[in-house]
Amino acid sequence: MTTLITPPQESDDREAPTPPSRNTRAKVGRWALFFAMVVIAVVMLYPFWVMIITSLKSEAQFLSGGGFSWLSWKHLSATIPVGQEVLSSTIVCSASILIILVVGLPAGFAFAKLRFRTSTAVFLVIVSAMMVPLQAILMPEFVNVTKLGLTGGYFGAILVYAALGTPFSVFLFTTYFRGVPDELIEAGIVDGLGYFGALWRLVVPIAIPAIATVTVLQFIQIWDDLLVGLLFIQNTSERPITVGLAVLAAGRTTSIPELMAGSFISALPAMIVYLGFQRYLVKGLTMGIDR
Amino acid sequence: MSAITSNAPRVRRMTLRRRRQLSGFLFALPAIALVIGFIGVPIGQAVYYSFTQWNGLTSTWIGPSTWTQAFHNSNLWTALENNALLLLAVPFALGLPLGIAVLLHQRVAGWRIFRSIYFLPTAISWVVLGLVAERFFAYQGTLNSIIHALGFSHVNTNMLGYESTALSALGITFVFTMIGTNTMLFLTGLATLDPSLEEAARIDGAGRWRIFRSITLPHLSRFIQLAFVMTVIALFSALFSLIFVMTGGGPGYATTTMEFLIYQTGFNQGDFGTAALYGLILFVLTGIVGVVQLRLIGSNE
Repeated sequence: MTTLITPPQESDDREAPTPPSRNTRAKVGRWALFFAMVVIAVVMLYPFWVMIITSLKSEAQFLSGGGFSWLSWKHLSATIPVGQEVLSSTIVCSASILIILVVGLPAGFAFAKLRFRTSTAVFLVIVSAMMVPLQAILMPEFVNVTKLGLTGGYFGAILVYAALGTPFSVFLFTTYFRGVPDELIEAGIVDGLGYFGALWRLVVPIAIPAIATVTVLQFIQIWDDLLVGLLFIQNTSERPITVGLAVLAAGRTTSIPELMAGSFISALPAMIVYLGFQRYLVKGLTMGIDR
Repeated sequence: MSAITSNAPRVRRMTLRRRRQLSGFLFALPAIALVIGFIGVPIGQAVYYSFTQWNGLTSTWIGPSTWTQAFHNSNLWTALENNALLLLAVPFALGLPLGIAVLLHQRVAGWRIFRSIYFLPTAISWVVLGLVAERFFAYQGTLNSIIHALGFSHVNTNMLGYESTALSALGITFVFTMIGTNTMLFLTGLATLDPSLEEAARIDGAGRWRIFRSITLPHLSRFIQLAFVMTVIALFSALFSLIFVMTGGGPGYATTTMEFLIYQTGFNQGDFGTAALYGLILFVLTGIVGVVQLRLIGSNE
């Protein structure tokens, strides 16, 4: 843009009358902007388009390129035990998130309001655990959980997910509870609630937004995860849907339209949760910086 | 705590304080136990087992020679090299979202809908995105259709099929998967920018590029740092799903990164000891990035 000196009364209001040349230029700019946004939208929607279009073909139609049919959807449950796998995902997700909340809420309360002698150091240790990728400790973890006999059912995976999710939830709850006035807790104690009562009756109710943030983030993380489900749930009939899809895909023998139909089903719950609770996700992601 | 004058309340206060501390410790105990048991202890075990020959059942102490042996293994260097090459994707994984966030911040008609659309892929599994990416790069996939539509009908790519191009395809997919998260971060950063600052600069005659460079970018620096750290950590520890579905680490070892090498060494070759050792190397690599992140968090407190 050229540096032109604008009269002061014009710069006060952007919608003020402007010379026609600038006006049309701004209009063109707006349209170019809108066009760019549409192009990006097309790129970002590409995975969904591929999933839907491809799943609406039979294997033969997929190979030849033309035509549509419901065949892949009809045969889906014979190839991929979708119902069973969605159920497994749901069980693993809910149980892990429940543990993460039940363990994280009192810990966050303790680190924020009931500080003990080494609490700062312990808090730092737990927060640093956020940085440890599972792959780094994969071998000992796998052998430990196997030796405990927990890879048979869901328990091994649930405990590993819970342990991996706990550091973040402790961090988030601690930060959140620091904002709760001490007087509120004191008043609760004076009223004879006890520390547990204060946590349950006073703190948890005002922590609903933080609880929602942890729940949504962990749901998407666990639902979408492959590694833990792949290794810590040995029984194929108890596989979560993401694992089921990945194993079939890596095998390279399953019909691609059916894989895409399964993918679409697996993506649906996470998409719904995401669209419904978008703001909690943003909050969780920018935690620690947006304060 | 207020000044204590008489002796009687002092005793009560002390016990109250001790009770509070004890409750605090008990409240934190389950979290401490879970994190120590499932994250702390395995780190210690990994150190021990990295000096042994270990198949998951029995382990024999070998000593430091396991480490010298590992560093003579070409697969380790290939994996580290792949990780290093993938770092080249990071500028794109930050730059594209920055541009998209700035576009969204112009609040053009329907920007809220665009925002939701841009973030939608963030919700779905990298397993699914990997599957779609495999279709995109496949011989009969979308990429070749686009190339043909542009008029180069004799050009046929098969990026995942060749050692020279597979890693690039993986990097491109990684950039795509990071767009939602990073755009979200930058958009949050832009929302905290005081619009009157930009307005003032515009009145002073600053051009758009100048405003972006001198006002917007410095304001976003904390967000860019955070996005950088998150992107690098994801690059080192979240590609497993993509690799598993798209290439299985191949062709050859062309797309085997550290995290995938750990999995392959442990579960395909049954060499748990070496896999534990590789895990420690990954631990150190992410640890370096993690220290940076903790500094960032700390600097805000």
